[in-house]
Amino acid sequence: MKEHIKETFGTFFIITTLICIAMYILGSVFKPEQRFGYEVFLYPVIYGAVASVPGLIMYTKNEMSIAQVIIRKILQLLMLIAVVMMMVFGGSSLSHDQLITAIGVAASVVVIFIAVHIIQWMLDSKTALKMTEDLEKWKKAYNN
Amino acid sequence: MEIQIRTIDETKKEYIEIGCHKTDEKVQEIVRFIKSRQGCFEVNRDEKQYQIPIVDIYYIESVDERTFLYLKDDCYESRKRLYEFEEVLSGRQFIRISKSVIVNMMKISAIKPAMNGRFFCQLENGEKVIVSRKYVPDLKEKLKTN
Repeated sequence: MKEHIKETFGTFFIITTLICIAMYILGSVFKPEQRFGYEVFLYPVIYGAVASVPGLIMYTKNEMSIAQVIIRKILQLLMLIAVVMMMVFGGSSLSHDQLITAIGVAASVVVIFIAVHIIQWMLDSKTALKMTEDLEKWKKAYNN
Repeated sequence: MEIQIRTIDETKKEYIEIGCHKTDEKVQEIVRFIKSRQGCFEVNRDEKQYQIPIVDIYYIESVDERTFLYLKDDCYESRKRLYEFEEVLSGRQFIRISKSVIVNMMKISAIKPAMNGRFFCQLENGEKVIVSRKYVPDLKEKLKTN
């Protein structure tokens, strides 16, 4: 659980950064004239924190197979879209204009979700490469 | 067969070399004996007992309270539990990488990322074993030693 919380914390910072970028792009496209107060700085942090919660679905004491991981990831994404929609639109019925915005928000959630995983994969690849290099050194030292 | 023993410098790695015309049963027997001097485990397969050299083990896995030892192409069963192997092999080239697997680090050819913060070890025989995220710090720590 400790490792899972640590990873969720790392994910939170990546999500928060990507939400800032998504808010800038979506805002520029849908409401370029909109002006905000200082409270807007809190939104990415709040969204980032809430968006990290569905990540707890990945926690299990047993070792998951690749298929199990993929299924849970899909569930995580669906929960994430539902949570963000609830936060943005409050569960009320959507007008035609809001529907277009909702599609944009859902699409950006999917893009951020994929981007988070690509970034984590790149970081893990770097760690794996370092461990392989260390392993080669370790083997040489062990043989001697 | 002529036997030669040569003293080498202490900075160099010790080795045993066999010069032969072909690798026949006699030579294999000598190899088995040398490997057994580095430690052996008593294991079973098809109701027969075998002695396998520790250095030949790729990984040890616990499945449904049974313990299996995997070699390059073979698999044997042992009555010992995984934690007993962990105790016996501590300080050697073996490390626990998940709740159910102990791997021989000398048989790992590469470490690669798996999904969900895990990694997998690509072994020299092509097999892959998962390193759970809980054991990743232990593996990193072990790689820093020596």
